[in-house]
Amino acid sequence: MDERLRTFAIRSGFLFVISLVLVAGFWYHREFYQIGFTNLLLIGGLVTFLVIWAARLAMTGELPRGRPSGELALSVDEADRLLKRIAHLVVRPSESLVVPPVGGVVRATYETGPEVTRLVIEDARRAFLSEVTDEDARGAGFRSAADLLDAGRTRWRWRPSDVVTLLRVRPTEGSR
Amino acid sequence: MAPLGRRHPPPRPTDGGIPLNPLSLIVLLGSAGDAWILALVAIRGRRRWLQATFAACTLAFLINGAAFVGTTEGLWSQTPEDVLLGILLLSHALTAILVLGLIHGEALPRKRAAAFLLLVPVPVLTFLAPSQGWTAATAFDETVLGGFLVLCFGIALAEAIYARSASPMFAPHAFWIAVGMVALIIGGPVYTYELLILGLAPLAGANVAVPVGLACFARVALQTRPFPVRPKVARGRTTAGTVRSADAILFDEARPKYALRVAHEEAQANRPTLIVKRRPPPITMSGASFAAIEGGRHAAERTLTTASDFLTTAPGGLVVLEDLADLSALSGWRSVREALVRLRHLARGTASTAIVCPSRLTESERKSLADLAFATWTLPDPATEIVAILGQSFGSGAGRLVDSFCRGHGLRRDELTTDHVPALLAFLSRALGDLTGVVSDAAAHGLRVQFEAAGSVLRSFASQRAEEVARGKWPSRKAIQEETDLLVTAKEYWKGREMEELFAAADAVLEREPLYERARVVFVEQLGDAGEGVLQTQLARLGKRPQDLEKRDLARIADRTGMDLKSVAEVVDVPVEKDRIRRQIESIRQRLESIAEDPE
Repeated sequence: MDERLRTFAIRSGFLFVISLVLVAGFWYHREFYQIGFTNLLLIGGLVTFLVIWAARLAMTGELPRGRPSGELALSVDEADRLLKRIAHLVVRPSESLVVPPVGGVVRATYETGPEVTRLVIEDARRAFLSEVTDEDARGAGFRSAADLLDAGRTRWRWRPSDVVTLLRVRPTEGSR
Repeated sequence: MAPLGRRHPPPRPTDGGIPLNPLSLIVLLGSAGDAWILALVAIRGRRRWLQATFAACTLAFLINGAAFVGTTEGLWSQTPEDVLLGILLLSHALTAILVLGLIHGEALPRKRAAAFLLLVPVPVLTFLAPSQGWTAATAFDETVLGGFLVLCFGIALAEAIYARSASPMFAPHAFWIAVGMVALIIGGPVYTYELLILGLAPLAGANVAVPVGLACFARVALQTRPFPVRPKVARGRTTAGTVRSADAILFDEARPKYALRVAHEEAQANRPTLIVKRRPPPITMSGASFAAIEGGRHAAERTLTTASDFLTTAPGGLVVLEDLADLSALSGWRSVREALVRLRHLARGTASTAIVCPSRLTESERKSLADLAFATWTLPDPATEIVAILGQSFGSGAGRLVDSFCRGHGLRRDELTTDHVPALLAFLSRALGDLTGVVSDAAAHGLRVQFEAAGSVLRSFASQRAEEVARGKWPSRKAIQEETDLLVTAKEYWKGREMEELFAAADAVLEREPLYERARVVFVEQLGDAGEGVLQTQLARLGKRPQDLEKRDLARIADRTGMDLKSVAEVVDVPVEKDRIRRQIESIRQRLESIAEDPE
């Protein structure tokens, strides 16, 4: 089954179960709610509001991690490596990098603007470029730290004394 | 009664057992859940006070639940009403204390004692209950008793809501605490009210939402638990160190070299010292404790609870928070900033010292940190200063001399610290010794004078404490004209060819410096004093003496050491230790390969 369809089915199933529980709850407490229309209106209204709210978040894929914040502009090659799970690290200059804390979701876009995917940040650390190892570079899809430095030198005018953030990321489930 | 035959079974309860009240079943299942959560917190928690409070709170709810089920199902006669009421009061007061403990987990002992004041009304109200006709079944009526119970839950909920809005660091946890509290309020007072409306038997102290509430609290307790600290520090106040107490100090240096040096110096002076950093350090003999920052969104809170746990155990201690930048990447700067503010209060409250290292922070984070007005020690990079000191004697070629030394020891220049000064001087001494006969006697004498002058300044610089360095003039900042004040300058002896002779001599030292010595430095830096023993064992396996060691042997030693240490790592269950050993293996391998591949 197509991944998106499966995700949609799971989310809809989850929503349906919540609806059943909601109706069962009202039925179970039917005598309690007989004490007044106001109580039913307030309590029932609040519960229904919460359910609709949760459903909206669930359907937009923002549960359980919340909506994405920040943006990571990726080159076509970089995006391709991440989507194919060949690479799992993104190395960026720490200055002016705006991404959520670990566990959050960031929107990954092509440098030209369109969204590629959403990435869950699994781990993060900062290092001087001179401390980036070959293993880190391979995680980011480069052959060696020197290659990574060369690529960054062209794009960001990197020097070994610059500070970079190494983000370990994973495309969210359901993203292509 | 005797059985009447095959078709008449012996006397026993009828099939299906005694019919169980659905509410009793829910409370029983909830009690099983409570016990499981309690066990989880007891096993995985790392804060004894919090665990004890959690256990007491859970037990109080469990007893209330058991009393309700027992009485409802007729398993025993009526539970003494005053006991039941006392435990009900206790469970509510302990819930509030538990929530306060979760939110203010790093609080000082005296603040902790203040929270326990909530227990004071419990015996008083229990004593008054018979005369006032208060019972567990009518506990939530509009009485003083009901008011106290509501107050306990109200304090907990209000504190959680306040933390949610006021604390960027604790907001996610406050949400779950609030969920737990709302569940307890609905499952207790509100549900009791509903049962009364429906004309059913009240819960009499039991609360059907206890598992939900405890699960939420347990989630917070486990997410904010301290990092493992090794070795653990002994309880009690200990020796005062040389760094002033009751403060938080910002060590403003490019890389946290002086911060670590101070930590080891203080630990050697028997001051309890904790280094909190991302990666485990090589084995050191200073006795400092270490906690590795584990990746995760809650790293800032966990760092704070780690420091809190350490400093309340050993007031007057020292905590060095090395990887502030990593914490910022993990938890976000706002959480880290709040953790720093709380850390400073903690240091002041326990007459301790906290050292924080802003290395690798961004400009905006540095500005935000400056707003906190921490005492700041601006410190130089020892590598830069060593080059500057050598530059005063050997001119612009000092950097090349240092690079030769670093190459020989498998180091990057930025890894140089004042600890390397003795080895550097020994290296230069050997290089200068090689120049005898190559340059004139006068030049050789001049070189020796210059070397001794540089050595004296280097030793003096290396012996300075961080506080002195922060106050004093750094060699790299000294005016260039000081060079002209020297009795003998490099320019008089080191002209053109002689300079090149010196570099050649330094490289030759590399070639002649015993490989054993260079390998030994690598092993000792990573494995402590035991490192030399490990190297000797490997040499013995190769059947070689130290002086016979060759470059191709280094690769074999690296491989074999790696395999030996890997087998050690396999039997270690602690992930942090396993990770440390893995990094040590990698570091030894890389540096030995670097020495072996050095073209000289």
